[in-house]
Amino acid sequence: MESWVVAMMLGASLFLGGIALAAFLWGIKNGQFDDEKKMMNQVMYDDEAELNDAARLQRKREASEQKKEYRPE
Amino acid sequence: MSKVKCDHCHLEFRDEIMIHDGEYRFCCNGCQGIFHLLKDEGLESFYSKIGDTTLSPPSEAYEASSNFDTQAFHQRFVTTTKQGLSQVSLVIEGIHCAACVWLNEKALHRMEGVIEAHINYTNNKARISWDPETVKLSAIIDMIRAIGYNAFPYDASLQEVRANKERKEYYLRMAVATFATMNMMWIAVAQYAGYFTGITQEIKTILNVAEWVLATPVLFYSGWVFYRGAYYGLRNKAVTMDLLVVTGSSLAYLYSIYITLFEKGEAYFDSVAMIITFVLFGKFLEVLSRKNAADTLDIIGKHIPGEVSVIEGENIRQINVNDVKVGDLILIRTGEKAAIDGEVISGEGSFDESNLTGESEPIFKRSGDSIISGTTSIDALLHYHATKDFTHSTLSTLVNLLENSMSNKPRIEQLANRLSQHFSSTILFLAVATFWSWYFWPHSFDRSLMVGISVIIIACPCALALATPVATLVGLTLGAKRGILFKSAAQIETMAKATMVVLDKTGTITQGRPEVVRATYEAPFERSLLLSLVQSSHHPVSRGVSDYLQSSEENLSCGVIEEANEIPARGIVGRANGVMIAGGNALLMEDMGIDVDSSTDKSVFYYAVEGKLVAVFELRDLPKSGSAEAIHTLKASGLRVVMLTGDHQSAATRVAQEVGIDELYAHLTPQDKAAYVSRFHEEGHIVVMGGDGVNDLLALANADIAIAMGSGSDIAIEVSDVVLLNDSLTSLAEAHAISHRTYRLIKQNLGISLLYNTITIPLAMMGAIIPLIAAISMSFSSLLVVGNSMRSRWMYK
Repeated sequence: MESWVVAMMLGASLFLGGIALAAFLWGIKNGQFDDEKKMMNQVMYDDEAELNDAARLQRKREASEQKKEYRPE
Repeated sequence: MSKVKCDHCHLEFRDEIMIHDGEYRFCCNGCQGIFHLLKDEGLESFYSKIGDTTLSPPSEAYEASSNFDTQAFHQRFVTTTKQGLSQVSLVIEGIHCAACVWLNEKALHRMEGVIEAHINYTNNKARISWDPETVKLSAIIDMIRAIGYNAFPYDASLQEVRANKERKEYYLRMAVATFATMNMMWIAVAQYAGYFTGITQEIKTILNVAEWVLATPVLFYSGWVFYRGAYYGLRNKAVTMDLLVVTGSSLAYLYSIYITLFEKGEAYFDSVAMIITFVLFGKFLEVLSRKNAADTLDIIGKHIPGEVSVIEGENIRQINVNDVKVGDLILIRTGEKAAIDGEVISGEGSFDESNLTGESEPIFKRSGDSIISGTTSIDALLHYHATKDFTHSTLSTLVNLLENSMSNKPRIEQLANRLSQHFSSTILFLAVATFWSWYFWPHSFDRSLMVGISVIIIACPCALALATPVATLVGLTLGAKRGILFKSAAQIETMAKATMVVLDKTGTITQGRPEVVRATYEAPFERSLLLSLVQSSHHPVSRGVSDYLQSSEENLSCGVIEEANEIPARGIVGRANGVMIAGGNALLMEDMGIDVDSSTDKSVFYYAVEGKLVAVFELRDLPKSGSAEAIHTLKASGLRVVMLTGDHQSAATRVAQEVGIDELYAHLTPQDKAAYVSRFHEEGHIVVMGGDGVNDLLALANADIAIAMGSGSDIAIEVSDVVLLNDSLTSLAEAHAISHRTYRLIKQNLGISLLYNTITIPLAMMGAIIPLIAAISMSFSSLLVVGNSMRSRWMYK
């Protein structure tokens, strides 16, 4: 067996593993594992209504920020 | 009789007592209200989401939500974000299932002005951001209450944020270390196979480079905590375990790079990663079981009332305690806690001074009596003049004293820390010595360096670093199963070394509430009327009598009485079937012209019907069951047991005799108690103090180990190192036994790891260690230590 094959396989698998690790670390930093009970139930509350709710919240947040910006000092 | 489910809370009741509302059934107006509210808001899908979970029916009695809008509340709990939004952390009460979380979030999200509501299902804590210009916090609280839950504020600021951040950081570091180490293991398998069956240098280098890539983040990211620890250690001129870990792993890392680049010998990358990973886990266990003194002080401050009501002419104004001047007229209502010392001008009522004096009897105050800050008004509504300002009042003087003693709290050096210092310097010395003797013997520089490094690696700080944390973790779990909460692992060891136990009387040795010890009936009377009479009062003596009546007579129900008035410091007078009934102390009887023999040191409750004495109850604060045995056990294990109390000498002596304590000091102020503890300290004792009230705070803070009763005051629990959830002295004796076992386990574990080193270090110095053996011995010794700890956990189940 050519040794470059070993090198390539090692490199590829470590790279893939690294991506998975990075995703996991991102999850921890993002607080996705902070509430283990809620995480397990999240799938039950994940339909259209929730999406609309999230969108409305986003708009509310933007509106409130804009209001702050236009306020005369 | 068929039972029907309430359509909101799902509790079952008989159909006829339920509220019928079309096709729906409700158990109470609260449930009905919430049901319709949710329907109107379009949130009725909540009911399909909760399934069969039952909810608690809503309570009606809440304190006014306007409290949430006061300046004082906002100063304490509300923070402002960069975007100008207000943010508060709340604990939501009544969350039973994921649907409750959903409903709360949903309902809040729909409110105008609420920007974000995030509820943690695991601990029921919520973080809410809102625009203060659009909506008030009280409106948000009202919404939470309207849908059947309740919210309390809590200060998320220092304590939690800091602890969570540190923990999260460790998770990240451990994730990286574990990932890299596990991957290195399969690369190492190839390496070792090659070592025994032959491998080309080219493949070997490829494997080494892969290990190098993996080891780098472990050493410099995960291992960063050790570099930091070693640096701080060196700055304090101490050789720490961290230094040994850092030198060992960094040297091995550099050496392995050299091996890889120049293609000779064996690399040690896997050992580097393994050391860091193991020791990091040990350190994480330590972090989990540590408490911060500074956080405790934050919480003490919160128990001081922030505002008082000051009377200015016709108006009553809420002002900050710090702005109160001597001579201000202060109003105190029922249930309020006094923040300022003073003298009563008008009004009267009883005060609960038990948290300052330890005396369970309420004290009656009238014009001319002094008010002590920190005491709580039971039924008093009175005006008083401030005689001191806030900083000189009893409560804040006490808090200041407390802060001082907390920061000067004695620390007993831990066995492992002391040992690791000597261990680390010895190993570093041996490694250098080995290197020089090999180099001068004469060997090549590479070979000498490798042998020197292998001494450090094989010295294996892993087992040593794991020895204490794993053992204390076992101790903590053993305690937790029995309702004993050690707040910090280090305290287990200190407790094992204790030489004396100091106990408070009221609430610690005794139950803290009077119980009937003797009842004499002079004439027949209706028991149910007496029961109704005593149940109309919250006075501890009345409660004692009520408990006694209910336990001595079966199926006793309350009789109908027409009126019952509590006369402060006297008793209760009522009327039943047009006949006057009265229950109370000797003073009440004298007022009514009944002659009683009042020459007793016990609390006595007299009961008279129509001006004739019919029953006499003698009450006493009895020792808890098991107190005597527990004190005997403590004495048998060689501890000096002392009782300190604020109560009278005679009461104290009797209790002491009953439980078998020979040494007692009575009639002490909180400061006296602390002074006694300090004096025992100076005599060279390691003192364990058990207490429950604010009057024990100073003494608790001065002791080496402070133990609080779970039912004690919140502050006492905060100050303590150990909390006994079932309040009994038996647990205290058990806590002592557990700490002894744990300490023995720590010594065993340290012994194992040292024994391991005395075998392997000479081998390493002779140069007989190859990377495979280094790696195996490292895991094996760590496994031995963990296994030994687990063994004791199973044995003491």
